[in-house]
Amino acid sequence: MNASPTHGFINHLVVYTLVLIGLSGSVGLGAVWLRHQISLAANASRVLDARIADVERNLAETTTAVETERDPNILLRRDTEWHLGLVPPNEAQIVHVNEDPVMRLAAKRNRAVFGEGPGQVAVAFPLAAQR
Amino acid sequence: MSKGFASNYRVVLLAVAICLCFGGLGARLVELHVFDRDEYLPVIDRARRQIIVESARRGDILDDRGNILATSQSMIVLGVDPQAVRPGDEKKWPELAELTGLSLAEITKKFLTKTRGGPAEPFAIQVTKPTGPAPAAAAGDDDDAEVDDPADANGERPIRWEKLCDDVAESTYAKIRGLDIQGVYGNRVYRRVYPHNSLAAHVIGYVNKSGAAVDGIERYADFYLHGRDGWREGERDGRGHEIAQFRTRDVPAADGYSVTLSLDLGVQHIVEQELDLIAQKFQPQKATIIVSDPRTGFILALANYPTFDLNEYNKVPRDDMRAMRDVAITDQYEPGSCFKIVAIAGALNENLVTPQTSFDCSINQIEYEGRVRGLPREDQSDHFKMLTVAQITARSSNRGAAQLAMLMGDQRFYDYARAFGFGQLTGFPLPGEIDGTLLPPNKWDALTITRMPMGHSVDATALQMQMAMGVIASGGYLLRPQVIREIRDTNGRLVYSYDTVVKRRVISEQTARTMARLLMGVASTQGTAPTAAIPNYEVAGKTGTAQKIIDGHYSEHHHVASFIGFFPASRPQVAISVIVDDADAHALNGVAYGTSVAAPSFKHIGEQLIQYLGINPVYAPAGPSLVMGGNRP
Repeated sequence: MNASPTHGFINHLVVYTLVLIGLSGSVGLGAVWLRHQISLAANASRVLDARIADVERNLAETTTAVETERDPNILLRRDTEWHLGLVPPNEAQIVHVNEDPVMRLAAKRNRAVFGEGPGQVAVAFPLAAQR
Repeated sequence: MSKGFASNYRVVLLAVAICLCFGGLGARLVELHVFDRDEYLPVIDRARRQIIVESARRGDILDDRGNILATSQSMIVLGVDPQAVRPGDEKKWPELAELTGLSLAEITKKFLTKTRGGPAEPFAIQVTKPTGPAPAAAAGDDDDAEVDDPADANGERPIRWEKLCDDVAESTYAKIRGLDIQGVYGNRVYRRVYPHNSLAAHVIGYVNKSGAAVDGIERYADFYLHGRDGWREGERDGRGHEIAQFRTRDVPAADGYSVTLSLDLGVQHIVEQELDLIAQKFQPQKATIIVSDPRTGFILALANYPTFDLNEYNKVPRDDMRAMRDVAITDQYEPGSCFKIVAIAGALNENLVTPQTSFDCSINQIEYEGRVRGLPREDQSDHFKMLTVAQITARSSNRGAAQLAMLMGDQRFYDYARAFGFGQLTGFPLPGEIDGTLLPPNKWDALTITRMPMGHSVDATALQMQMAMGVIASGGYLLRPQVIREIRDTNGRLVYSYDTVVKRRVISEQTARTMARLLMGVASTQGTAPTAAIPNYEVAGKTGTAQKIIDGHYSEHHHVASFIGFFPASRPQVAISVIVDDADAHALNGVAYGTSVAAPSFKHIGEQLIQYLGINPVYAPAGPSLVMGGNRP
């Protein structure tokens, strides 16, 4: 027995409706999955941001701790505690060369070359000195 | 084709049912989104939308060598949501009390007090600071912030956040999180930390706990330092966590710029150590030491006694609040004999005298502008008769200085005093500077022209005196004192660089050189301050011993002792001011003279600076030598 045209139409309608619902559902699920992936990515990004901020915070803390330890008063205390005996240099330890060191060294060398001693006349070469 | 399962009746029923379902859903959606939109939208906004403020990190303050003088560190403000507290966590409370430093009774009270009376403002969009993993609540820099829900019918408001303690370190907070007490969480805030405590306290200034810059460079450079907070607008889930994918706006925070000062940590430490020694030895009322580069006007160190710890600014007792004042710029004093440089330099610059011009310093009175004026007495009058200008300078003759000023005349002397920077602000970039006192000639009395040249009837700040001496050291220029070297952004790029600012030429270069030579006589055996002399170095300077005005009269027992100078005189590299106020009680013979109180400190600081800054003595010209070029065979 052949189906009437009405039944055929209804059957098609039901099938198409189910297919449409299925497709819509799939698209919906796909969208949900996509949004979930976006959410995961956004959360991962947020976690990374937080971790970077944590590292920066720890870095700042460490830098502050290091700077605190470099305070002159603390260094002096450490010097005492650890018996290092470090002291700043003083004037008595330093010999000032109150003349041009190049000329001084040159004169010293020339004295050795020419055997200049007491009673000998010092000879100057102004042009050489100007160079 | 088969008939299939569908009969007319079933198919129609199914179709109607599906249509009814979809129609019902559609109708409900239309009702919610169109008709009831205005009713529900605010509720949803309140429940889900949020704005998270991202605090900008305040920039660092560095010294000239890159040492950190002030920085920002993240701390935790710890709180509890009493509504979320579980009874099962009660056994962990003692451990929490130990970690936070609170008593168990306090913890118990805060945990068990779940409501408070009085109305609360209804919620708008909730603004939160970045928080830990627990539910966010509004608790930022305002330490006492409390976040409650609206009041119930009895007028009681459930407490949603009660502060436990602030300034919890990250490591301690990690331990607290490890206890896993539900409802206990913290909000991160930046707190200002000063790694060197009281070092350069008056220059750096401080930021209070609410984040307001109160004093010093912190306040002056706040525009550059504070940065700009960022914010994120988005939604949160039922647990209060941000739903990251629903961020609609994200404005990142812009951290503050770093400010590099001209201060040098080492020089500052040397200066503060010397101040400690002065304080121990003389127990003065106050004291100031300034070290600057006279060629540029940049300050290398500035310290005052008494001082305070920047990290504990809020613990300074009320009676000791004066310790927080930068007296180098906020307090004035009569400079005494240091002021004589104005009269001497002015007279030399006007070619009225030469260093060899003599004055009779034995006379008590002198006629000036048709009237006989009494001259001030000398400290060592038996030694002073005819003195040259060089001797007047070296021996600090009051009468000699008075005669030099009278030679110049009222107006010209006043003009030179102004030109040296007295009676006006120096332009130093710290708040609270005063301009001192320098009255114009039309307000002088008959004795002013004889007293002002010796530093009476005039008031100056320590910084004004430093810069006035700097005129001679710099070759005749009055420079603006500066303490900020440059400003850099977070990537280290230069934003602004400060350079030397010449305010005016005061005296000629020749006069400045002559003055430097004359001032070298002060720190010699013939001068008033042989105690300031540094072997192998040309020290130029001037002592000052000014009587203080007590109850309207100059006191014989209260003095301001000072020595202001620079070296090497022929090629100045540092200028140093040492000013000690009221050290008489512990000074030799009960009088705090500049030569016995301030000059030795000048020398002590100078000797250390020679090593630290690598200052070489000025070489004597080389004598004839036997020189030969070429290589030695």
